[in-house]
This record gives sequence, C-alpha cells and structure tokens, in this order.
Amino acid sequence: MRLLDIFLLSLSHVRKSRMRSWLTIVGVIIGVASVVAIISIGQGMQENVQQRLGSFGADIITVIPGYFRATGVHSEMHTDRSVSTSSSINLTDKDIKVIKQVPGVMYVNGLVSGKADLKYDNEKTVVSVTGVDTSIWRLMDTTGIDDGRYLQAGDSNSIVVGYNLAHGTFLQSMTLNRPITIGNKNFRVVGILKQSGGFGGGSDTGIYMPADLARDVITEKVSNNQFTSVVIKASDASLVEYIKADIEQKLMSSRQVNPRTKDFTVIASALIREQMSSVTETLSLFLSAIAAVSLIVGAIGIANTMFMSVMERTKQIGLLKAIGAGEQEIMKLFLIESGIFGFVGGIIGVIFGAAISLLIPYLGIQALGIGGDMRATITTGTILFALFFSLVIGILSGIIPARHAAKLRPVDAIRYDQ
Amino acid sequence: MNIIELDDVWKVYKMGEVEVPALRGLSMKVKPGEFLAVMGPSGSGKSTAMNMIGCLDIPTKGRVLLEGQNISSLSERELSRIRGKKIGFVFQSHNLYPTLNALENVQLPMRIHELREEDIWDRSEELLELVGLSKRGRHYPSQLSGGQSQRVAIARALSTDPSLILADEPTGNLDTEAGKEVLDIFSKLNARGVTVVMITHDEKIAARANQIVRMVDGKLAA
Repeated sequence: MRLLDIFLLSLSHVRKSRMRSWLTIVGVIIGVASVVAIISIGQGMQENVQQRLGSFGADIITVIPGYFRATGVHSEMHTDRSVSTSSSINLTDKDIKVIKQVPGVMYVNGLVSGKADLKYDNEKTVVSVTGVDTSIWRLMDTTGIDDGRYLQAGDSNSIVVGYNLAHGTFLQSMTLNRPITIGNKNFRVVGILKQSGGFGGGSDTGIYMPADLARDVITEKVSNNQFTSVVIKASDASLVEYIKADIEQKLMSSRQVNPRTKDFTVIASALIREQMSSVTETLSLFLSAIAAVSLIVGAIGIANTMFMSVMERTKQIGLLKAIGAGEQEIMKLFLIESGIFGFVGGIIGVIFGAAISLLIPYLGIQALGIGGDMRATITTGTILFALFFSLVIGILSGIIPARHAAKLRPVDAIRYDQ
Repeated sequence: MNIIELDDVWKVYKMGEVEVPALRGLSMKVKPGEFLAVMGPSGSGKSTAMNMIGCLDIPTKGRVLLEGQNISSLSERELSRIRGKKIGFVFQSHNLYPTLNALENVQLPMRIHELREEDIWDRSEELLELVGLSKRGRHYPSQLSGGQSQRVAIARALSTDPSLILADEPTGNLDTEAGKEVLDIFSKLNARGVTVVMITHDEKIAARANQIVRMVDGKLAA
C-alpha cells in the first residue's frame, strides 16, 4: 500500500472520531505549549544575564577594596573598625606594583572613581568621574571613541565624556572643546565615547580624566598615591582564573592579610558570567523538566487513545489483513495516526507557547533579582525542536498499540465480537 | 487446476489443557466456475472450514493448496498478499470500512495492492454500477442499508479480480428481500464465470448454489 493511501486512511480515522482526536491533541498542546514557553523564558533569562554582564571583557580582572562575602554583600572591612580610616580602604601604588609583577598581566590601570558636581551651559548635575592612567586607558578601553581623541599623557584640563552624557543629558549636546566646570575646575571636552549600552554602561554617562585631576574634583577623599579600584587586562582570556588567584595570593601577602582578614576583592567578570549562566541554565533545565511531565501526560493520552482505537477496530484490522494488508501496513496505519496527534498538537502547542512567551514581558515580573523585566526569547531552534519532539512522542506512544494491532491474526480479528 | 484444495485438513484448538478438534480430516476441492454452498449446523466446523478455504488460518495437520501452492510454506506477508489477490471476502456483518465511503471501500483492496490510480477509479465505478449502487458512491457505511452494504462488499470483493469469492453467511443479517438481491448478484456473477463459495446454515439459501457440500463433525458428511 502506498504511503499516501495509508496516510489518507489514517486521516479518515482521525476525522471520524473528531471529539476523541481533539481531546487527545489538547493533551499534547498543553505539554508542548508549556515546554516551548519555559524554554523561551529560560533563553530570555540567559540573554538578560549575558547582556547585563556582557560589556565587561572576558579578559578583564578588577580589584576593589573591601571584601565581599558570597553570602550577601559585605562591603565592610574585616579588620578592626576602630583602626580603619577612609584612606586605608583604598588601594595604593604599592598594590599596583605588586599586581604588575603577576605573570600574565598585560595592563594595569589604577582608577579613581567618585561623584562630582558638574556645570555645563548653566545646567547643574552630579556625574560619576573616573580618573584613569592616561597611557594605559586608551589601550584597555573597549567602548571606542565616537568623536575626538582619547586622553593622553600631559593632558591637564582635558576630559572624555560618555555618549549619553554628551547627547541627551543636557538641553544642548556637548561638542568637542566645550568648556565644562567640574568640582569648581574648568575642563575642556577632547573626546566623546561611543555608546556601550549594557550593564557596565557606566561609561555612557561617565566622565573620564587623568587620575590626578580626579582626586581634586570628586567629593570623596582619595590620597595622592591611592586608587578606588584597579582594572587589569590579562594577556589571555583563558588564563583569567589563574591570574585572578595569583593576584589574590600576592596581594594578601603584600597587604599582610589572611583569608579571614582579607580587605580587598578580586573580580573576574568572565567567571561571574559563567556562574550566572550555569545558574540560569540549571534553573531553566529544571523548569523544562517540570514542563516535560505534562508532555509525558500528553504522550500517555495518545497511547491510551491508540489502544482504544485498536480494540474498537479489531474487526477492521482483520478485514484489512483479509484483503491483503500486511503487518507493516497495519503498523504504519496506526503510527501515522498517532504521529498526526503528536504533530498537530505540536503545531498548535508551539503557537500557544509562542503566544505565552510574547505575553511574558507585559506581565512585568522581575527576573531573578538581577534587574530588568522577565522576558522570553523564542528561537527557530526551539520551534523546530518542539515540532520534531512532538512528532516523535506521537509516534513513540503509538508503537505499542500499533504492534498490538499488527500482530492480530486475521482469523481472530474477523471473529472478534465487540 | 483446482482453485482451492483441502487435503485431510485437521484444525485443533487448545482451550487451556483441553484440545478441541474443529476439523477432523476435511477434504474438498473448489473448481473454477463453481457456485458451491458449504452447509452444516453450528458446531459442525464450517466457520473453521471457511478460514481454511479463505487461507485466513493454517491447518494443524494436512494441506491447503491455493491454486496448487501449499499455504503453510508461505510467510505471513506472502500469504496476506496472495489471499488479498486471489480471494474476495464477503462477511456476515461489519464488512465495510466505516471511515471510508462506498467508493473508497471498493478501492481499498486495489490501493493495498497498489494498482494504477486510473484503473482504481475506473474499476471501482464500474463495480459499483454492477451491484446497482453507482449513485451511492459517496455514502458512508452508516448511511447505507444492510443490503446495500453487502452489495458494496461484493463489489469490493471483486475489485482485485480474484479467483474466488468467499461469502460467509452473506445474507445472515438481511431481510428476505435484501437477501434475495444479494443472492441474485452471486448468481449473476457465477453466470459470468466467477467462482463463488458460500458458507451457510440455511437450506433455502444453499439451494441457490449449483452444488452443496454438507459438514458434520469437522468433515464432509458421507
């Protein structure tokens, strides 16, 4: 029997018992829709995390003062409070020298960050200022210059501003060489950065100037040889984990602290990103597993319907065999039928699942406390996977009933009394 | 050559520990062009005989030859093919495939045997006309009377141009008038040279055949 004819015969059964067919299909729809929605939410979650952490380069390591415990954020020092002064929180020239000697470290940039008052065109605001090592910063910056130039050695009153600060913050956009007052000192814009977006997007609204000048203008007190953070570029992104450990070790000994009294933190964003990814991956896998349960229930529904069909149609199976159909043809007849249930359920389920995914952002649920609304990303891969999977599930659930039907002896089937 | 030849056929069913012989050395022949009625009371083994003649089952002992070929030597699939090709079945009830209309029912065996699409349509329409139902082609079995269903079943049995039409109590569920119409068709077909074997317990119906064999206790009455 030709496959098309078997298919049409299967279809005639699906059409004839419409109510039962639809109920069976609904079971699959629920399963597929929930799997699609949850996979999409999981992917959206991962993208969210990636985007928020993405603007940090994979080869960047940051050292900041204070120690952050994994169980909640402690920015407090672990040394005796009464002894600590604001100046001792910061990192020093000495630390930078130590870090520079760690193998695999390519560039080290000591930063002086803080807030400062800004006056431009009779408008006032508070901005975040980052003082940088002018010779190193241009080598490490990943944002890029939109207009003008980077800072260079010898700049005395020059600043580079972030894209969003230049465009859109003030009534009049900043242009090169415009005078700006920051913390009562006069500056001149020599460069505007490109828009970076993303989580590390401090650069979009920040101001960059030589570290010495920053110490004078920011409201926080930072002594001459001190820095609020140190940014390090590793020579190779794959070595970040080892370099990070090495820096930690060397700084601990130079600062004469032990793991319990540690007063600084070394952060490798690539590692954080990896960890976050594995958390979200595990989470979405777990949710998918729950959704898969409903898909299994759908599959059992198909198997149940197929078994009932085989029972009901025993005489017809006998008839088909009497007029020349073989085991293979009977088998195909039932498998195609269960495949139709799976596939149709899959198509409608994908549509429902996609609809749910599209509605998610409008629910305004906060995602995982990392900020940003929960969202879902539907990919062609997800859709194809769902369609393929539901077809396979349909066929698999039909195998046992179909075998049962195919093995019926014609003489028994014909005499079967309903 | 005989279309069907049963040679000392035994069929023993096992009911748990007990062995029940349904056929005890049945021998008979069906020659081309015959219109044969197999008669017998219930329990005489005529249903089992029908299974043997129709090659739906293989004997415990003895030989069943379909056009000279021993069916015990064939695989399940081969037997299924040959049976579908050489024998056209008309059962007592539930003959038609309920999800297909009359025309599609007639086409079903031809589709199983993968005939050419054109031939399938030509022949199915021709056969429905032969049984007087050309206007009912689009009707589903549930929309047909018992007599009409049996006539569609006969048309279907003829579709692969078989050597033998095997009918099992074909009028069992019909009233006298509809039964007569069905039997008339068999007579007409036989007159055209189609070989017909009919299994029945009814003397009046058997009387329409050209030849009657009677079964008692799993073999032909002496």
